[in-house]
Amino acid sequence: MNWSHIKLIFHREVRDQLRDRRTMFTICVLPILLYPLMGMVMLQVAQFHREQHVSLGIFGYENWPASQPLVADEDQSQIHWKQLTITEEISQTLNQLRISENQKGSEAAGTLSNNFVVDAKLAEKLLKNVQSDAIIWIPKGYDGTFTSTQLVVLSNQRWERSQLAVRLLAEKLDKWHQTSVRDRLAATTLGVSVLDGPGIKHVDVSVPESKRALIWTKILPFVMLVWALTGAFYPAIDLCAGEKERGTLETLLCSPVRRKEIVWGKLLTVMCFSVCTAMLNLFSMHFTTAIVMTQFSSMGATEMVQSLGPLPIHSMGWLLLLVIPISAMFSALALAVASLARSTKEGQYYLMPLLLIGMPLVMLPMIPGVTLTPGTSVVPVTGAVLMSRAMMDGEYTLALLHFPTVATITVLCCLLSVRWAVRQFESESVMFRDSERSSVSQWIRNVWRHRDETPSVNESIFCGLIILICLFFGRLSLGGMALEWDSIVKSTVVIQIGVILGPALIMAAILTRSIPKSFRLTRPRVMDVAVTVMMAFCLHPTYVVVATAISNEYKLGEQTTSMLQQFDSIIGNTSIWYVLLVLALLPAVCEELVFRGFLFAGLMRNRGHVRAIILTAVLFGLSHGVLQQTITASIMGLILGWLAYKTGGVACTIVFHFVHNSISMLLATSSHHKQSIPQFLSWALEIEDGRLCYSSAWCTLSVGIAITLVAWFATRNTIDKQTKQL
Amino acid sequence: MHSMELVQVHKLCKNYPDAELGEFKALDNISFVAKAGEVFGLLGPNGAGKTTVLRILATILQPSSGTAKVFNFDVTSQADYVRYSIGFVSNNTAIYDRMSAWEMVEYFGRLYALSNDHLYPRMEKIFRKLQMDEFRDCPGAKMSTGMKQKVSIARALIHDPPVLIFDEASLGLDVMVARALQAIVLDLRDQGKCIIYSTHIMREVERLCDRVAIVYKGQILDSGTLPDLANRHNQNDFEELFFQLLMQGDAGIPIRRASIGPPSSEVSAKVSAAHHGSIR
Repeated sequence: MNWSHIKLIFHREVRDQLRDRRTMFTICVLPILLYPLMGMVMLQVAQFHREQHVSLGIFGYENWPASQPLVADEDQSQIHWKQLTITEEISQTLNQLRISENQKGSEAAGTLSNNFVVDAKLAEKLLKNVQSDAIIWIPKGYDGTFTSTQLVVLSNQRWERSQLAVRLLAEKLDKWHQTSVRDRLAATTLGVSVLDGPGIKHVDVSVPESKRALIWTKILPFVMLVWALTGAFYPAIDLCAGEKERGTLETLLCSPVRRKEIVWGKLLTVMCFSVCTAMLNLFSMHFTTAIVMTQFSSMGATEMVQSLGPLPIHSMGWLLLLVIPISAMFSALALAVASLARSTKEGQYYLMPLLLIGMPLVMLPMIPGVTLTPGTSVVPVTGAVLMSRAMMDGEYTLALLHFPTVATITVLCCLLSVRWAVRQFESESVMFRDSERSSVSQWIRNVWRHRDETPSVNESIFCGLIILICLFFGRLSLGGMALEWDSIVKSTVVIQIGVILGPALIMAAILTRSIPKSFRLTRPRVMDVAVTVMMAFCLHPTYVVVATAISNEYKLGEQTTSMLQQFDSIIGNTSIWYVLLVLALLPAVCEELVFRGFLFAGLMRNRGHVRAIILTAVLFGLSHGVLQQTITASIMGLILGWLAYKTGGVACTIVFHFVHNSISMLLATSSHHKQSIPQFLSWALEIEDGRLCYSSAWCTLSVGIAITLVAWFATRNTIDKQTKQL
Repeated sequence: MHSMELVQVHKLCKNYPDAELGEFKALDNISFVAKAGEVFGLLGPNGAGKTTVLRILATILQPSSGTAKVFNFDVTSQADYVRYSIGFVSNNTAIYDRMSAWEMVEYFGRLYALSNDHLYPRMEKIFRKLQMDEFRDCPGAKMSTGMKQKVSIARALIHDPPVLIFDEASLGLDVMVARALQAIVLDLRDQGKCIIYSTHIMREVERLCDRVAIVYKGQILDSGTLPDLANRHNQNDFEELFFQLLMQGDAGIPIRRASIGPPSSEVSAKVSAAHHGSIR
């Protein structure tokens, strides 16, 4: 790469963006203006909120105990009491409110039965007539004990003022009640002291600074990430789709600059603006909040000021460190997505999906209780946010411990995003695609007319997504984990044949010319099969170790654990051959035909074997539903994908998958079958908690053998004829 | 390679994915050579495949099969060298809206790694020759179409490439600017540059092109000098000749073609004589 080209492009693009008023407004002016304006509005609203009062109508106040009045003069500022007299019309309405037939018309106005049922329309009409936000009706015979008869409060919860009136009235009545109870207790021998609870003196050892940091550490990374993404997207659209639209990209493409250099130059520009936007927002928000809080403090809201005061300066520093890698990642993603667009208008349509995809990763750290662990540190964005939060909280050891993982994941994601962006720039169909008319019927005709022997890349991805959606709804309709053997068989058959194999089979029949080639059904080499079986045996101990580590990291819920135990118990009480047929062979055949067959065949096109291995592994992992299984299945998917690539078909992967499933089933049911370890296997297996498990010796040895077998496969020439043909 | 053959295209094919046809053959076995000191015209109706050929020569697109060489560098395997050897002027007068004429040409000069000692004198020379001094600080967004096209030409000339590609460069220009463009092209030819000039305007072909290839539906129907074509098809009116060939192409009637030969002696003489032009 020629760095002088990258520098030239970077300088030009930055200068170009700085001259664009729209970009400058969104990136620089808006953050500076937005928060002060919001602060101003907040102060106005706060003032308005303080002055807000509600009107509360009160009927039958003469029935309230005169010794302890409810309405006092000082209440006028919050609740405007309107003592209403019961006119003839209101009396009729009040009577009509009680629609309970046995009571209707039997009692005089102002009395109340316990069977009081309100006619909502009449009540609303009454509220409007008396021009009150809520009405309290004190019936005759009410003595303040709450046992004689009920107070009736009429409100319309659709009106915000009515909600406020009810809340204020409830507070008022509660206060009145406490005073009343105290007065009454004071008059008895028990005294007021019986109301006193256990003596608690709460001592908060946190310093105000750290408390403030706690709230900011949750809010600011979120704000910063959203702005980093927004700040990346608009320049990315202008730099890619905008240049395409204006025709200047073509000029640049025939200059001596390589496409990779163009991407890097543009990426640095986008990143620069993304970082600036995030930082400006951060500073502006922080500065405004500090001033607004000071203002609130003068209004008497000290609690809020303590919790949301200015952030310690070192915390700001950690946040700024976070913004660089995150902006780099978002910038590369935004650039790749924006390069798909033909025009700036089209580019803007892609913003929302990108935000929706990025949002869960940004929201995850905001969930209460989510902290930096080995599990969360491997989640892109989330890990980085949690690490910066740990730094802001002063937990430097924890942050340092997870720094290598977070840094690796973040750099990896950045590089993958950049690679994707470069590929977009190298793709003629992306760079020079013209407007296409969308016609479903024409598309269907073309798909049928131009069927190939194997599915296309898009068809494979579409099939994978269809399977995932069908699995989601299929599992929901089957109602969770089956806990009877018949139900297990039924659900396994339905899922494997109907939901996983079915869509692929239908698509292969409709969209391709050769079902055997679409499912990569080839005759395997005998030696390959033999080595595959050995590899499945040797990799299983490692798989168990990894799966256990993952289960320890991402703990299963108690309910799931209990259900899994029941599941083991059920299969333990069933014939092992039947179990192997249903739970080992059937999934091995169906899943391999689909993931390493149909999907792999499509994704392999255009020398896309790396894409095929990775994507089928991810889809295979996601098809397992439970997070723990998703991770282990994805890892296993990578091995199976590589095997499928090296052996050129699905036969070996079916064998591997079957052997792997069978061993897992045998180990899971071992405690129920009370199996003893055969003498010749005593060095490899041992019994722990009544279950068969691998000995440490075999675990170590198996890794060595597995590496040898993998190396043997690696040295073999790939026999995938399809790769050569396509 | 003949020393003067600066562009060599041999059996070039380009297929595009197509929603209706599955695959669309934009170029089907196109072959031609263009030499130093000549204007080689690619004449054809819209959608004939002219732009695709030129984009392949400019290394923007990859050929599906066949070879194309510019200055003896292969467009696929030696794309970096090819880019230093060409100047590409497209029909959409694409320049940056927020850059002035001077900044734009300077930017491309730097991309071609020209040092300050070479860059600024050359820019001054080009700006003077193309009469661009009066709008050198005008931003692209405020320029007229003619001004933009001049900036595009200046940008393509800044590194003094031996091959210049004009892709329907006169499209949308008024008569005055179009004439000025033709004068620039002829001037460049006289300096010994090899110019590939794509157009669908007959009059331009007659004025500018030393040799011409008539492209239709991704194929070259015939090529040669204008007198050769007129003799071969017994048609002196070039516009009529063009239609005649297109109709023969549509009807599938075999067309008498000449082999692609060297340029006329007149052109060769121009090349050998011209090495020190004003915009070299």
